[in-house]
Amino acid sequence: MGKTAELLPGTLDMLILKAVSLKPLHGYGVLQRIRQISKDALEIPQGSLYPALYRLEHHGLIAADWGLSENNRRAKFYTLTPAGRRRLRDETEGWNRLTSAIAAALNATPEEV
Amino acid sequence: MFKRFRSLFRALARRRDFEDGMSEELRFHIEQSTDELVRSGMSREEAARQIRMEMGNVANVKEDCREAFELHFFDEFRRQLNYAARLLRKTPVFTITALLTLAVCFGANLTLFAVIDSVLLRPLPFPEPGQLVTLFNTYPKAGVERDGSSLTNYYERRGHISSFTSLSIFSYGTEIIGEAGSTERAPTLRVSPEFFSTLALGPVMGRSFTEEETTSETDQVAILSDSFWRERYNADPHVIGKQVRVNSVPRTIIGVLPPDFRFLSSDARLFLPLASRPEDRTPLRRHAGGNVIQMIARLKPGHTLAQAQSELDAQNAALELDDPQAKMIADAGFRTLVVPLHADHVAAIRPTLLLLQAGAIGLLLIGAVNLLNLLLVRASGRAKELAIRQALGAGRGYVVSEVLVETTLLTVTGGLLGLAVGAVGIQLLRVWGTDRLPLGGRIAFDARLALAALAAAILMGFVFAVPVAWFHLRGHLNHALQSESRGGTSGRATQFLRHGFIVAQIALAFVLLAGAGLLGLSLQRAMAVSPGFQSDHILAGQILLPWATYSEGARLTFVENLLDKIGHLPGVMSAGVVNNVPFSGHSGKSAATVEGYTPRPGESARGHYSYGVGGDYFRAMGFSLRAGRFLTADDSRRPQRVCVVDEDFARYYWPNGNAIGQRLWDGSEGGKDSEAFTVVGVVGAAKQVGLTEDQAQGAIYYPYEFRIGDSFFVTVRTNFPPESLGLALQKAVRQIDSDIPVNDVRSMDTRIADSLVVRRSPALLASIFSGIALLLTAIGTYGVLSFAVAQRRREIGVRMALGAQPSQIRTQFLFLSLRLLFCGTLLGMMGAWQAGRAMRTVLFQVEPLSLAILAGAAGIMAAVCLVACLLPSQRAARISPVETLAEE
Repeated sequence: MGKTAELLPGTLDMLILKAVSLKPLHGYGVLQRIRQISKDALEIPQGSLYPALYRLEHHGLIAADWGLSENNRRAKFYTLTPAGRRRLRDETEGWNRLTSAIAAALNATPEEV
Repeated sequence: MFKRFRSLFRALARRRDFEDGMSEELRFHIEQSTDELVRSGMSREEAARQIRMEMGNVANVKEDCREAFELHFFDEFRRQLNYAARLLRKTPVFTITALLTLAVCFGANLTLFAVIDSVLLRPLPFPEPGQLVTLFNTYPKAGVERDGSSLTNYYERRGHISSFTSLSIFSYGTEIIGEAGSTERAPTLRVSPEFFSTLALGPVMGRSFTEEETTSETDQVAILSDSFWRERYNADPHVIGKQVRVNSVPRTIIGVLPPDFRFLSSDARLFLPLASRPEDRTPLRRHAGGNVIQMIARLKPGHTLAQAQSELDAQNAALELDDPQAKMIADAGFRTLVVPLHADHVAAIRPTLLLLQAGAIGLLLIGAVNLLNLLLVRASGRAKELAIRQALGAGRGYVVSEVLVETTLLTVTGGLLGLAVGAVGIQLLRVWGTDRLPLGGRIAFDARLALAALAAAILMGFVFAVPVAWFHLRGHLNHALQSESRGGTSGRATQFLRHGFIVAQIALAFVLLAGAGLLGLSLQRAMAVSPGFQSDHILAGQILLPWATYSEGARLTFVENLLDKIGHLPGVMSAGVVNNVPFSGHSGKSAATVEGYTPRPGESARGHYSYGVGGDYFRAMGFSLRAGRFLTADDSRRPQRVCVVDEDFARYYWPNGNAIGQRLWDGSEGGKDSEAFTVVGVVGAAKQVGLTEDQAQGAIYYPYEFRIGDSFFVTVRTNFPPESLGLALQKAVRQIDSDIPVNDVRSMDTRIADSLVVRRSPALLASIFSGIALLLTAIGTYGVLSFAVAQRRREIGVRMALGAQPSQIRTQFLFLSLRLLFCGTLLGMMGAWQAGRAMRTVLFQVEPLSLAILAGAAGIMAAVCLVACLLPSQRAARISPVETLAEE
């Protein structure tokens, strides 16, 4: 396992939305997918995964349906709702703006001041 | 927001699914991740340990998930609900007392509110009901407050009053409907063509009446009510054009009304055109209303009652200019009044209903105060527990919500029980005559009412929670802990509050008691009034003869035949007929002109009760003869016209007592000598409408042939119980004509008793209310006193150890209750005085401030309170100093 980073507050929701946007996933699948797309760089606190999923479902950003897992077990699959898709887009834009701004700030050199 | 509500609601509705799903999902997750770790080479035990470390406590995760769904509020609520229910179950005496109190108080209010709602509040079932008005002629100085309208009024006004979009007349009636052999006597309405358009609700099938159908040659049409159409014609969709026999004459059915059509309180099964002859519409008949025809109109949008009134006044003034009777009419104070239809229809019953509702609210207040007191006492008992829990960290919000859940659980359960009490109460009131109230037929217990009651119950729960929560949160944590442990007294403020509540309760109960006393005394005074005739052992029934088959001559023959047959029935002492029996609920006054009488200045013609009587009417009714003789059957055959007047009439016109031999004319003008009636007798004055009427209006009794109407009453005096004669009476009538039913067969005593229902039911209801109020007050006083004694056990024990006598202790507590009683009664007397003034209109021969009633109420109150105090005082006096001191 390589170096892992702590999640910033509020980013878990965004990551879940992203993970689910690629393909319907069950909870454990969400965890795996985030690890996979972050190349194992992000450590998801497992205790907060499910409350976050439930909160997103409650707010109508993801929808849940029971289906069968890869090994034929009953599992709850999450899909992105249209509202969730909008939210993901907004948050991605916001995040990109934020990171580029912070990056620009951190890269400032004495000449630019 | 909406999405969250839906999702929360779904989770709440399928809570079991939610929980199962959550468990399954977490289990799946744990198994999957364990398997993965095992695959990567970890031992199963090691893997399970690592997962547990990463996830933390599964129960906590679940709780977080529930919180994410906002379910935790409901879980908390449910926990508190269970706790409150457990606490209430642990104190069954308190809980049952509280629930019964609430059930009775809510039930009483609900019942009365159902009546008020249907009678006073709910609008009439027509579009824009606020525009509907009624018009009537009044001649106050002639003693005729209300005289309906005349046909002439109708023809002169319609289309001429610009404030009205339409104006219409109607007349209540009863007709014999159906084929020979299966007739029914049914209520009907005769209406003018614009009647349905004025109401803006007309036939759903067929059409309304037309102008051409208002003469007696062309009025052979009818409109059916929905119920009549269903019952008699099986809801036949092709009923239009078929025939219905009304009074043996076929009429063509031209329309059917919608199911919910109900005009005021009328149960009319059939609607007929109000036909008239041209001579009845002339200016000469302008003041011939006689309360037979009523007028309604619809105000134009934006026009006010005042505008319509001034237009009418102007028109009346213009019309009276060329009226030969103008002076007399003006002297009588003639006016035509426009009033809202709904308000006018229920005006008579309004004060009584409002008064009773006020009584019910008073009862609710007493119950509420009582409960508050009991809740405070209960709170004192738990002060220590709550203080400890607060000391251990229970938040203020938690304490408040716990109190709130408990009080609301109590009031809502009480409210639900109250719904049941209310449902029963409405049935009970029906037995006591609410369906005879105006619009009483539509009294119903509906969802609106139930919702209002539940909302009130919840509100009450909140109100109750305030002082209890305040008590627990006062912040005297140490004080509460210490004072309880030392068995000392509770805070001054709460004690003051408790005592104040008792005083308020006594005062309110006193007002209710005094109010019930006033109503009861009024009823008693009314019952003590003599009707003016010997009302026992008389049976009276109404017979309606259709004009189509019974001409005037045939009517007289029918009456003669009938009286002859009845006279031969066993047990009959005498029998007679009258066109309108006293206490029938109808009264017609008309003018008479007395020969040689010149009205005093400013005095107008008077309306007198006018009757046509036949057979042995006066003996059958037990009238007393003051002078001269009664009318006899022979009087009809004599060429000279004779009549009998009552003593009020005689005293008014011939104060010197020489009534016999005087002459008068029927109507407001003198006539030919041959048409004059000679007074041959003076009889005692009888009450005509009700026992409590106090106007000595005077009555004239003409031989029946001069007052032949649609129907008449036959009255029979018997030495049997009068009701037992009913069947024989029906049979006698059937023997003459099998199509003619006898209706409204009741003894005179029953009629009088029924006429008192508007006094009896309120008095009964008020006494029930005050009985409950007394009981509640007793419970409240007892509860608070017992609590005071229990709380001061130690203090009493110490004082007795130091030499206080039991009698001193007893006296001390009795004095406390006497002080409360005194304050409460004093306040109550002031309240009773105000209540009496508000009740003035419904009282009869009773002063609003009756000393006897105040004294009686005070006596009852004192007795009840002292009995309630005796037990706790006695208990205080029996406290053993040894035991209480040993308890430490």
